[in-house]
Amino acid sequence: MSNNTSAQKKTRRSFLDFLLGASSVAWLASVLYPVIRYLKPLPRAGAVGPTRLTREELAKLEKDHFVIVPVSGKRVLVLRNAAQEVLAVDAKCTHEGCTVQYLAAESAIWCACHNARFDLDGRVLSGPPPRPLPKYAAERQEDGGILIVAERRQNE
Amino acid sequence: MKTFSLIVYQLVCIAALAIAAADQPAAIAPKLAGLLAAQGKEGKPVISPEQRDYFEGLNDHIKGLLNNAAETEIITRPDHLSSILALGLRPQKMEVFLQDNCVLCHTDPEVQKPETLFSITAVSNTSPAHLNLHDLVDDVHFRRGLSCAGCHGGDPASDKLEHSFVKEWPGTGRDKNRGWVLSFCARCHSDSTLMNQFNPALPTDQLAKYKNSPHGKLLLETKDPRAPDCVSCHGVHGIRGAKNPLSKIYPKRVHETCGACHANPATMAGLTLPDGSLIPTNQLAEYRASVHGRALLERGDLGAPTCNNCHGNHAAMPVGLSSVSQSCGLCHAGNASLFDGSKHKQAFEAHKWPQCGQCHGHHGIAKTRDSMLAAGPEALCTKCHQQYAKDHPECNASAAYFHTSITQMDQAWNGFGVTAEQLAMKGLDVDAIQDKLNELADSLKQSRSHIHSFSKNGFERVALPGEKAVQSISSLIQEAKAEYRLRQLGLVASIALIGLVMLSLYLKLRRLEG
Amino acid sequence: MSDPGGGRSLRGWLDSRYQITPLIEFLRHKEVPKGQHSMVWYYLGGTTMFFFMVQVVTGVLLLMCYQPGEATAYESIRYLTTKVPFGWLMRSIHCWSAHLMIISLVAHMFSTMMLKAYRPPRELTWVTGYILFALTLGFGFSGYLLPWNKLAFFATSVGTDLVKSVPVVGNWLLQVLRGGPDVTANTLYRFFALHVVILPLAFMALIGIHLLFVQRQGMAPPLGAKTAPRGMKFFPSFALRDVLLWLFCFMVLLVLAVFLPYGPGIPGMDWELGQKADALAPAFPGIKPEWYFLWEYQLLKEFPPHLFGLEGPQLCLLVVTLLLAIWAVIPWLDRQAQRDEPSPGFSDFGWGAILFLTFLTLKAWDIGATENVASAASIKIISRTCAWWTLGAGAAIIGVRVLIHGHRWFFLTGAALLHVALHGLFGLSYLAAGAIAAILAGACVTANLLRNDGIKANAGGAR
Repeated sequence: MSNNTSAQKKTRRSFLDFLLGASSVAWLASVLYPVIRYLKPLPRAGAVGPTRLTREELAKLEKDHFVIVPVSGKRVLVLRNAAQEVLAVDAKCTHEGCTVQYLAAESAIWCACHNARFDLDGRVLSGPPPRPLPKYAAERQEDGGILIVAERRQNE
Repeated sequence: MKTFSLIVYQLVCIAALAIAAADQPAAIAPKLAGLLAAQGKEGKPVISPEQRDYFEGLNDHIKGLLNNAAETEIITRPDHLSSILALGLRPQKMEVFLQDNCVLCHTDPEVQKPETLFSITAVSNTSPAHLNLHDLVDDVHFRRGLSCAGCHGGDPASDKLEHSFVKEWPGTGRDKNRGWVLSFCARCHSDSTLMNQFNPALPTDQLAKYKNSPHGKLLLETKDPRAPDCVSCHGVHGIRGAKNPLSKIYPKRVHETCGACHANPATMAGLTLPDGSLIPTNQLAEYRASVHGRALLERGDLGAPTCNNCHGNHAAMPVGLSSVSQSCGLCHAGNASLFDGSKHKQAFEAHKWPQCGQCHGHHGIAKTRDSMLAAGPEALCTKCHQQYAKDHPECNASAAYFHTSITQMDQAWNGFGVTAEQLAMKGLDVDAIQDKLNELADSLKQSRSHIHSFSKNGFERVALPGEKAVQSISSLIQEAKAEYRLRQLGLVASIALIGLVMLSLYLKLRRLEG
Repeated sequence: MSDPGGGRSLRGWLDSRYQITPLIEFLRHKEVPKGQHSMVWYYLGGTTMFFFMVQVVTGVLLLMCYQPGEATAYESIRYLTTKVPFGWLMRSIHCWSAHLMIISLVAHMFSTMMLKAYRPPRELTWVTGYILFALTLGFGFSGYLLPWNKLAFFATSVGTDLVKSVPVVGNWLLQVLRGGPDVTANTLYRFFALHVVILPLAFMALIGIHLLFVQRQGMAPPLGAKTAPRGMKFFPSFALRDVLLWLFCFMVLLVLAVFLPYGPGIPGMDWELGQKADALAPAFPGIKPEWYFLWEYQLLKEFPPHLFGLEGPQLCLLVVTLLLAIWAVIPWLDRQAQRDEPSPGFSDFGWGAILFLTFLTLKAWDIGATENVASAASIKIISRTCAWWTLGAGAAIIGVRVLIHGHRWFFLTGAALLHVALHGLFGLSYLAAGAIAAILAGACVTANLLRNDGIKANAGGAR
């Protein structure tokens, strides 16, 4: 009789130990999984995200001379001017927030809403906008890609 | 040694005194000093501490001019001096002021009557508005050295009381027939050689334009005393440039200046349009409530148009029939060019309708609403078409299509916008959704603009990206929601595991202690 | 498990090299005081440490993505919370754990205070704990700026401005703190260094000392226990209970992080990223510092611009410094606790402090505000509403103390409530009401002391 209870006790004890061990390991795994996923860097961009244009965006840039690219929540107009330089300005017109476009034939940035015109540095040429367009730095990479780095100040 | 150092010491003292003496400011002559120290009623000095400070801060040249004015008894009263100092003028203006005997005399309360005294505030209720001294010294002519004599004639350096006006200034009947004002101002302002000496950028064609305008014809041909002349809009003594917020022609004040006559039914009584109907006087009220008026007056958007942007300044006239879309099209270029390429242009011309104004109004242009397209009470298309274009029933279908397409996109934009915010509050990444929402907004704007082409094909081309965006946003939202559910699932799983660990730990504890 | 030979097991291996047996024996016999009192308060130090360890781990992870700098701070956190896998979770846990750590720390501090754990021989434990509290607030303040968003920028501008009022070195201190006359990227760099290196090093050092003291002296037994009461063994009983509690805390953290990733939405406890800081934009309307600074922020607002020849903020700083100094040297002020006698006066002082802080914090939250929050009428209503809430809380506290603990000594709590009532219900200015309450309290306490020759314990053997 006592053998039975002590045997039962032993199995119960080892079962509890097993339960504790197994659940602890499982829990630790559930904690480590997000950490490990977190640590692996993403393929496309660096920590802050100098944004790299996708292949479709590059193709559109070639075809239309400009493309609108999302950059950490904002929209940036990337254009290719007559001298094949790549420039980038904020795509949101400073008047009422419409999206501007690049008119290659007139070498100007134009907002269709109220006929505002900006030069390629974002300065207002005519129309109602009160402020120039913020500029971004765009660099060509060796592999042909284009990188948009953070915002630049107007007088740089 | 001792005597040597004594001599050096004395030389140093003398040198210091000499330097100190050289630095002494110019002495104030007794008469000026007397005015500065004068006391008024109750023993308080007439010249206030601020005015005293201002006086002390003036340079020697200006102080010398003040001295002069006091000595030659042009300034004899302390309150006269006080009003001059209270202006706080910069040295450049002060120099003009103090060398101009006209101004000095006409600001002296002792010798002037209320009808001829320039003062800072109204001396009495009968003091006319054009005698405000602040306005006078702010005047753009005064600043350039063209003070009283420049218009009224005479010699500012002379202290004799003679008024010899320029020949354009008629001796009698000045108030009755105001046509003389035009040639009076134009003797300088239409002379480009003269204007080049002051501001080469200013135009000199104002008189020619004015003569062609209804205002000009009213004054010069009909000789109507109500007609405006230069002074009516620009003022007389306080003329300021259009960029000065105090100017009567500053963009935010133009509507008041024009409205002073055009919104007053008494002033406008009997004046008619070319077609014989009376000129309305409700434009100002309509403008204030319009989208342009509110942009300018409530939001302060200086890019918004006011009266002169559409009607012109000196050649102000009703916007000509064929040129309405030209004038609106200065800003709304896209819509205007679409309209001009559409079949509506010829139709409107045939009916002699003012293109943009026919649907949008003239002065009371309200924010456009999508309901203007539908078949409801605000619908514009169907009303006209039922009357004038019964033989084009396909247009009704187009209008309905425009309306459906746009309202669907608009509802999607609003609804998705709210959803995106809610998702962001939950900590989800809504960047892709926001980007697509921007694309949808762009397409919506372009679609609304392309209504002016009145062509289904053109409209479809710009509406299509919007519809695609709507699909993308839908699926992106579903993905985000799925991501959130996944997070919740992960949480539940973690809690379950933690619970399990806690349970086994508790049991172990009980076993160890029990 | 133990091999008599001593060389085959891990323990034996370590022991033969480092003599760990005495240490193990010490740990095996370590006990936590256990008796008629509730043991729940003994866990609070552990939970504070747990939350701190969570901060270190999540902090290190965040450090791998965060880039300080005018053009990169905000962007890197944005990237972290939107693109990096589980980045949102790491930031959310870090922010929640910060607040929970401070809550736990405050509870730990007040519970040790009420239980008089600071009495000899544990005075320095109190002092090191006090310093740890200050360091933790420094962590909170410096970390707040790092996202470089509008809220953080203005909160930091307003918060660092206070330093100007320190006499003599005020301006120097301001410039050193901000890295310049205004809050700029230089401020960001300094706060980053503080948050990531300077404060962690100091904290580690102090918590090492603090724990060393606790280990050497054991946890404080309750007042009046003549000898060490029978205890609960630390290993495994207390330790496992500790772990159980920590697991529960972890669970709470996870739930909060997933369902409220940007905080509960209470002003002063809200870390939505919002927009990037813009030095040229006008200040936030209704900007408030974090909730644990709200009392000081409100107190500053109660001082007029000039008083007694000093500037308002300077006087306020003086008052606050005085109060904090008193709080730091409590172990040496509390004579009765030193004699191991019940010290109801200091318990009352603790409760009074809690009510004092509560009223100011509630008022800073504009509880009861009408439409136009800043108007004088609205401020009166806010004062009145907060006064009622505080009086209610005070009544509840006094009720519990009378009924359950049999306390009779309420002069300081009474003073705090009188202060609140005079200001909120009768419309006196905060300072005038405070002066009256302080003088009355001083008079009553002195009279009581003279009459009784010491603050006597009341019936019921209370603390």
